[in-house]
Amino acid sequence: MGVSHKLATTALAGLLLAGAGSFAQAQDASLDLVGPLAEYKIYVAENTAELVKDTQEFVAAIKAGDLEKAKSLFAPTRTSYEAVEPIAELFSDLDVSIDARADDYEKAEADPAFVGFHRIEYGLWEDGTTDGLDEYADKLLADVTDLNNRINQLTFPPEVVVGGAAVLMEEVAATKISGEEDRYSRTDLWDFEANFAGSEKIFDLFKPLIAEKDPEFVASVQANFKTVDDILANYEAEGGGYVSYLELSDDDRTVLSAKVNTLAEDLSTLRGKLGLN
Amino acid sequence: MDRKTDRMKPPAGRSCPMANRRQVLAGFGAAGAGGVLLASGTAARAEAPAHVTDAPAADANTSRRSTPFHGAHQAGVATPRPANGLLASFNTVLTGPEDMEDLFRRLTARIVFLTQGGSVPELDPKMPPADSGLLGFKIEPDNLAITMGLGSSFFDKHDWLDGLKPKALIRMEQFPNDALRSELCHGDLSLQFNANLQDTNIHALRDIVKNLSEYLVLKWMQDGNVPPEIPPADGSRAPSARNFLGFRDGSANPDSTDAALMDRIVWIGPETGEPDWAVDGTYQAVRIIRNFVERWDRTPLQEQEAIFGRKKADGAPLGGNHEYEDFDYSGDPDGAVTPLDAHIRLANPRDMGELPFLRRAFNYSNGVEKNGQIDQGLLFVSYQADLYAGFISIQNRLNGEPLEEYIKPIGGGYFFVPPGARDTGDYVGRTLVEAISKTATTHT
Repeated sequence: MGVSHKLATTALAGLLLAGAGSFAQAQDASLDLVGPLAEYKIYVAENTAELVKDTQEFVAAIKAGDLEKAKSLFAPTRTSYEAVEPIAELFSDLDVSIDARADDYEKAEADPAFVGFHRIEYGLWEDGTTDGLDEYADKLLADVTDLNNRINQLTFPPEVVVGGAAVLMEEVAATKISGEEDRYSRTDLWDFEANFAGSEKIFDLFKPLIAEKDPEFVASVQANFKTVDDILANYEAEGGGYVSYLELSDDDRTVLSAKVNTLAEDLSTLRGKLGLN
Repeated sequence: MDRKTDRMKPPAGRSCPMANRRQVLAGFGAAGAGGVLLASGTAARAEAPAHVTDAPAADANTSRRSTPFHGAHQAGVATPRPANGLLASFNTVLTGPEDMEDLFRRLTARIVFLTQGGSVPELDPKMPPADSGLLGFKIEPDNLAITMGLGSSFFDKHDWLDGLKPKALIRMEQFPNDALRSELCHGDLSLQFNANLQDTNIHALRDIVKNLSEYLVLKWMQDGNVPPEIPPADGSRAPSARNFLGFRDGSANPDSTDAALMDRIVWIGPETGEPDWAVDGTYQAVRIIRNFVERWDRTPLQEQEAIFGRKKADGAPLGGNHEYEDFDYSGDPDGAVTPLDAHIRLANPRDMGELPFLRRAFNYSNGVEKNGQIDQGLLFVSYQADLYAGFISIQNRLNGEPLEEYIKPIGGGYFFVPPGARDTGDYVGRTLVEAISKTATTHT
């Protein structure tokens, strides 16, 4: 059953897509998705390739016992994961072993199942040493390599890609805004930026399909992304990246919260606007 | 990260055909047994066998009752208190007066819908639904009142509100027995939800959080309830609800049905030195007061009663006979009957006229503290025309009272409740919006 036919069987759809041309538009939209989807696939592939490359350097620093270098590579290595998290999360086994936080486990940091980026972060910042991290480093590299391979073989479900724009905002709203994500290194703002960039990428790719129909929606989403970008720009660090999450002012955090929640609300309608299930 | 383990689960199954068949048969049984009663639908329904997960029977009378929204004053202050309350405090994100007006207008529209009821709009099923659905698709009023207040920080953070802050509005200050937790204090804007059912309050909160996300960021919230009482058989006034210390709370509350009294105690009148826009508004004091209930329950009854100054069984004053009786302490100058530091004697010495505030409290229960004690207490809310003469001065008289051994205020804040929306064209906060343009005109 085609997208347009499904819509036609819903009495309300007729009301919402007022006008005789609307069904044709919906059908066109499903064809128009092909281009943006292909482009997004390239974006993801570039990011996961970068993730593998960066993780190799990160792991090498840990195994060489170079604490400062390992700490400096932690945040930038994660960003290419955070930018494509909606796709990476499709492999929930890898998402757990790459990006789980201590509070996902009953015994928190002491839990033997706690591995991945945040276990290494805990070692580097809380224990202040690379000792004992080799095992976690090797596993992380194996996992991101596996992820890269699996993603390259994946057919991207359109609804997951389009829905991903909102999913990234849900990520920020649920765990980033509270400073829970990178609690040892305080590099949360790097993740923020990557989540926003990943979301904005999806929005930008599909924007042409709705720009004409819904200019107010597009303008509102763009304005909210811009506010977020402007706030984050105030927290850029001199040597690149971002300053500590602890420097984020309460007022800015409130504005970010409002924008993130509103982006999540707005972007949660993107799938529906494109007629996706 | 977010685990997507549910993603691949099959949709929830339809109800089992056997179960349906059983229900049908059971229905026949009921019909057969009560054949002559079938003319009365309720009688037949009353005999239907109840299942574990059947929804509890709602009361059509209370759920359809609405608290009027329009009027000189906001609802939820002097209107009768229903059984359940929820106080939510928000930070606001406003880039200018236009945003404030938009917030007030849209908030008013949500309040009108939620408090007066109606049908939830149906959207394209490819879209997120317009409503959480937790009350179904037809919303009953359920006596819901939503009351908006503005904190001191709301006025301080916007220079376009210069000179418009109500004169007594301050950031809540610490009293000697307080142990305030910053995450439970203050806020730019408060919303008090009061309804017969807590589900109604929660539904309304979620509706507003969803619909006004660009302006409102939730900071803290506390819900609570008061235990219902069977009304007296002789039709006399119902007793006050009990708090979690087991005492009746609010016995000396001024009579909220006396409009002239409310005008003196609760509502801002003209020529009080308050900004014109604030007339018909009121100050809201909110306090989250932890009760140490285990320790209290291990305290002798006569000591509990001496601490409060009332009898636990019926709420009558010590030496008195009835909760609501009029009395004073002129015959007990040394505190032989009612200790001089008893809670009600300090709060209301009964030698200075009427009590200058109206209380509207709820009991809360939040789970377990780290020490294994039950986290319970009082969500205290009071309304007064003068914050100093009202809550602040009364609390100052209570500082050092023996009850402090058993209570610890941990949160809350002060807010100003603007006047009500007078009719369908009006909105809550309009007078403040208009006061800005007046100020702007004066300046130019």
